[in-house]
This record gives sequence, C-alpha cells and structure tokens, in this order.
Amino acid sequence: MTRRISILAAALVLTAGLHAQNKPLRVGMIPDAGATAASVSEKAPLQAYLTKALGRDVELIIPTNYNATVEALGNGSLDFAYLGGLTFVKAHAQFGVVPLVQRSSDLQFHSLFITGTSSSIHSLKDLKGRNFAFGDINSTSGHLMPFSELKQAGIDADTDLHFRYTGSHPATAKAVESGAVDAGALDETVYNSMIADGKLDKTKVRVFYTSKPFVDYVWVARKDIDSATQEKLTQAFTRLKEGQDDEILKILRGKSFVRANNQEYDALRAVAQQLKML
Amino acid sequence: MTPGWESALSQLRQFYPPDLSPQYLKALVVPLLETLQIAAAATFLVIVFGLLLSLYVGARLPGARLLYALMTCVRAVPDLTLAIFCVIMFGLGKAAGMVALTIFYTAATGKVFADLFASADPGPVEALQSTGGGRVAVALVGLLPLRLNDLLTYGAYQLESVVRAATIVGAVGAGGLGTELYGAIINYEYPRAGTLILILVMVVAVVDRLAWLVRRYPKFLLVLAVVGVASVLMNRPHMVPLAYAIGRFRSMLPPQAPDHLERVPGLVGETLLMAFGGTLLATILAVPLGVAAARNLSPVFVYFPARRFLEFLRSVPEVAWGLVLMGVAGLGPKIGILALGLHSAGSLGKLFAESLENVPPEPVLAMTATGGSRIAITSFAHLPLAFAPMVVHSLFRLEWNMRAAAVVGMISAGGIGQALFNAQQLFHYREMVWYLIVTWALVMLTDAINTRVRKHWRVSEVIVR
Repeated sequence: MTRRISILAAALVLTAGLHAQNKPLRVGMIPDAGATAASVSEKAPLQAYLTKALGRDVELIIPTNYNATVEALGNGSLDFAYLGGLTFVKAHAQFGVVPLVQRSSDLQFHSLFITGTSSSIHSLKDLKGRNFAFGDINSTSGHLMPFSELKQAGIDADTDLHFRYTGSHPATAKAVESGAVDAGALDETVYNSMIADGKLDKTKVRVFYTSKPFVDYVWVARKDIDSATQEKLTQAFTRLKEGQDDEILKILRGKSFVRANNQEYDALRAVAQQLKML
Repeated sequence: MTPGWESALSQLRQFYPPDLSPQYLKALVVPLLETLQIAAAATFLVIVFGLLLSLYVGARLPGARLLYALMTCVRAVPDLTLAIFCVIMFGLGKAAGMVALTIFYTAATGKVFADLFASADPGPVEALQSTGGGRVAVALVGLLPLRLNDLLTYGAYQLESVVRAATIVGAVGAGGLGTELYGAIINYEYPRAGTLILILVMVVAVVDRLAWLVRRYPKFLLVLAVVGVASVLMNRPHMVPLAYAIGRFRSMLPPQAPDHLERVPGLVGETLLMAFGGTLLATILAVPLGVAAARNLSPVFVYFPARRFLEFLRSVPEVAWGLVLMGVAGLGPKIGILALGLHSAGSLGKLFAESLENVPPEPVLAMTATGGSRIAITSFAHLPLAFAPMVVHSLFRLEWNMRAAAVVGMISAGGIGQALFNAQQLFHYREMVWYLIVTWALVMLTDAINTRVRKHWRVSEVIVR
C-alpha cells in the first residue's frame, strides 16, 4: 500500500517537472514595483512580447532583492536585466554589463518627496528630526538621489532624520499615506501610476519637493551575450509605439525607448562614489 | 507623528476579512506548490545530511569536534546572507533558495541531533562498545534506534520551520508563500496578507498532522522520502560556476572593519536588546498561553482555540511581524522586540504546553489527593515540575532570537543585523564579513551560556519533547 502511494507520488511530482527542457533566455527585473505572484502575472504580456521578439523562450524573474539580481548577472544565471541607475553603475563596475536601452523619461528622471496632505512639511529643511522613508537601499530614485539632495539642503540623513528602508517604492508611498512615516522619497513614475490606478489616495498625500533630473533605469545584457541577441532585445523595445503597444508600455510605465550608453551615468557614478554607495 | 493606538487598530482590522476572491486564490496556487515543494526538498536533504553529520559527531570520528563547531558557525549566518552566497554558487532561482535553506537547517538540525546522541542512555551504548564493535557500528545500531522517536519529532518540527522560512526563496527569484506575504505586507495589502496568514496556519496544521502520522506509522516516512527525492531532483541547480564562486568568495576577504567603528557597540547593544527583550516578552506571553493550550490542564474549548492562536502567532515569520508592526507602530528596536516576541510566543507556547503535558503523573496525583484546587495544582505541581524544560526552551529561543535579531535588521529594525544587511546590499562584502563575525560571536556566546545552564539543570533533550 505504502509502496503504491510512493510510486504514485513520485510519478505526480516528476511529470509536473518534465517540461521546458530547451534553455530559455533569463530576464531579471529589480522589484521596483513589487515581486508578488500578482505583480509577476501582471507582467505576462511583456514576457509574451519578448518571447516573440527574440524568437526564444523567455523566463521573467523578479527577485525581491537587488543584490541577488546583480550577482546573477555576474555568474551568468541571468542573461538580461532591468536595473536602476545605481544598480547599473555597480553591475557595470563589477561585471562589465552592457547598457542597451531605456525609456526616454529615464534620461530626465526625478525623485518625488511626498508627505501627508495636512502635514507641516513644505521643504526639505522641515524634515529635520522627522520620520522618513527611503525605498530600497540600492534604489537610485528611492535612496541615492534623495539622500544627495537632502545633503545639499543641509540635512544629513544619518544624523538629522529617523529613517528606514521600506524596500520598494509602493511601500514608501503607502507608509506615507498611512502616516507610519512623516515623509518619503520615491520614483516619480511609480507615484504617478499609483495615483492614476487609485492605488494611492490623492487626498491623503502631496508632493512637496521634486529633485533635480538624473539618469535612471536601464535594460542591460550580461557581457557574454552575443551582439545579435543584444540587438534583438534593444529593437524589441525601441520598436514600441504609443497607441499600438499600450499594454506593454503601461507595464513598463513608459512612452518610448531610446538606446542607452555608459557615459550618461558619469554624474550618477560621481554621486554614488561621493556618498560611498559604490 | 507616530500613529496612535486607534489608527494602529484600524490598520490591523484591515487583515479581516481576508481577500478570498477567486482570482487571488488562483494566483496563489503556484506559490503554494512552490513552497511545499521547496520545503519537501529542503527537509529531505536536511534530515539526510543532519543525520549523517550528527552520527559522525556521535561516533566521535576524527574531526568530530571541528564539525560540531562548524555547524554552530553556519547557524550564525542570517538566511538572506546565505541565500546570496548560494546565488553566487548556484545561480539565481529556486535551487539557490533550496540550498540556502538546506545548509542553514542542516547545521541547526545536525547540532540538535548531535546533542540528542550525546545525551543518549550510555548503558546500551557501552554494552555495544564492550562487544568490540567499531565506532560507526555502535553509532548505527546503538545511537540511532535509541533516539529514533525524538529524531522523528524534531524532523517534523523542521518541516514546519522550513515552510515558513521559504521567504528567502523569494529573495533569490523564486516565489513561494513567504514572498507573497512579504510583498502583500510591504504594499499594505492587508486583506491579502490575511488570506496568506490563513493559508500558512493551515499548512502548519497539516504539517503537524503529518508529523503525528509519521510517529504513528513510521512506514509513511517512505512516502515522504519519495516526494522529497522527487522535489530535490526538480529543483536541482542547473549550474555550478565553481571557479567563479571561489574567486568571488576570495574577494570578500579579509574582513574589513567599518568606517564608523564607534557606532558598533551601540549596534551590538540594540541586537542584545532585541534578542533579550523579545525572548522575555515571549516567555511572559507563553506561560499563560502554554497553560491554556495544555490538553491535561485546560478543557477542550480553551485548549483548542489557544492552540490555533499559537499556530497563528508562529506561522507569521519574524520579518513579517516586523513589517506589520512598522506600519502601525513606528521604527527602531522596539519593533524588533515586538516582532521576535510575538513569533517566539507562538513557538514557546506550544513547547511549554507540551512540557506541561509531559510532567510525571505521580506528584500531580499526590497533590490532587490533598484536595487542592485546579489552580493550586497547576501552580504548585505542573508549573514547578515543568520549570526546568521551560527554562531550557526559553534559552534555546534566546539563542535563536540572537540570530533572528540579525534577520529583522533587514527591515530597518536596527542593530548589527541592519548594518550587516546594508553592507551586503551595497556590495561592501568585506565589511559584511566583519559584521558576520560579530553576529557569530554573539550567537556563540549565547550558545555557551546555554550549555552551562543546561548542565546545571541536567536537562539536555527536552527540546524535542
């Protein structure tokens, strides 16, 4: 009896695992907007689009951890990845990853500083001594640039604020909305899409400061990926057009894509070095 | 502005009713299967390796002491840090998560198994030795059968822990229920978090049943073993870039002290505060809860809900408790204390209940014969009789919480753990290793205190009772 159950159990488990033997391209995304099953399934159209454009199976992977995404580009367990500005600069320094393509908005990206509608915070200086939320420690618009802007305004986050890392942009928005923190800094596209989708109550939060522009997110290839495949991925993105690929563009929170290069990140690299985050 | 009790309560109320919409439940099928599969695979490997290592230690083969020390060392590494090491070694994906869980729990289980063998009844073992049997033979025919029951109990307990610990699998790119819970909570999707907690409580209850089945019908273990082997095969690593990994690990050495060395004592203080505070809070909560959950002390309408409540407390991992509390109660080590306290209360409450159920019957009967009231019997017979095992459970928990205090660091609860996690995230790996050594020293210190106290109370095996 026991043996029969064992064989049955083994057969069931094994058949479940015997699909997809040919090696798919593995594409990683940093969890800038959540890494739950719901958020992965929301990205299914993107996966289908890339599979068609590249002519190969594509596996989308969203680790909850930026660190793991970069390490995976180093040892070859990811072929392509969507990185933030700071993670790109790190991945480039450590593993020579190749920047391919980015949204045109990524060249002029902003961090938003938000607070509760009725709060008394109106400028960066008002943040002194308050509870503050950064996103992930490796986030450009959720940590590096806001940290740098605060410093320029005479606020040293390490000593003048009680801050924490919420781990993601939506989490920062929600922490401010609920009043768990007094203010926070996050990615402008995440903020705008949360307001548009009604995921954030616009009567409860307001923007009180917008950062100077900087260069942010980029799609990259591991350095050993052949240039033909790199080019295919690049064109898959530059081809996207408003009115025609809206479903994909909404997932990517962008309007159009342009080719990216390493020099764009020189200013960001300098800030990261100066703040010892590189 | 720290939100007051009122807003805290109104937030917590959002967990109910849970999101039971068909779309959401459907979306959870894959993560549930993933969690079960990885837990089955990891538990199988943990028990196999844990048994081999502990028998090696138990048989006192050459290097046994070194191996034991190594297991203690590995247990001091926070699971997320282990997970990153595994990504470097085995690539991103489920395999890395499975290996990380396996390494951590093998070390934990191997140590407990070794302790169990060390405390085995010496009579039969010496008799076997006198027949001239080799060390390995004595370990296999002597130690193993002597301890089989306790090994099974602890093995089942590990399965439950592994199911919960699967959060880290999400950190390396596979889903799982832990990841869903983490994601739902950081996005303040509390009704969904409610659903996930409900599912976790059910999984924990099912695992509890399985454990009972295995103890009752050991043959059932064969079925579980087959599922375990199949799950391991399905999640096996697809790559092992050994030379690359060695180079990468070498670049993490030698350890480098952080720039702000003067902040370290404060960080250590915060970690100690969280570990001690959390354990104290848990113990205070667990005594009444344990009494309420003890089947021999409380009527069914008390112990049944009490047991479910304890399952609820412990099915939410420390990190998830921390995130919920952070949403409602602000920042800092107090979050760590509460998070460790609530989760540990769930574990300790169950263990306390079992200690109370296991007290020898004679003194209790004597008390009853004097006509003492129920409360008096509980206070003066059961509690004192179960005191020693309860102390030992609490001390084991303290050791566990010393490590868990490092883990809650990743959600900005402070302490050495936060510094470690930040250094890791920023790729300041040499600094990370330095903090790892500090964490390791703290865990070792607690371990040493534990051993002392255990010797003093002359109890060593109660952990699995």
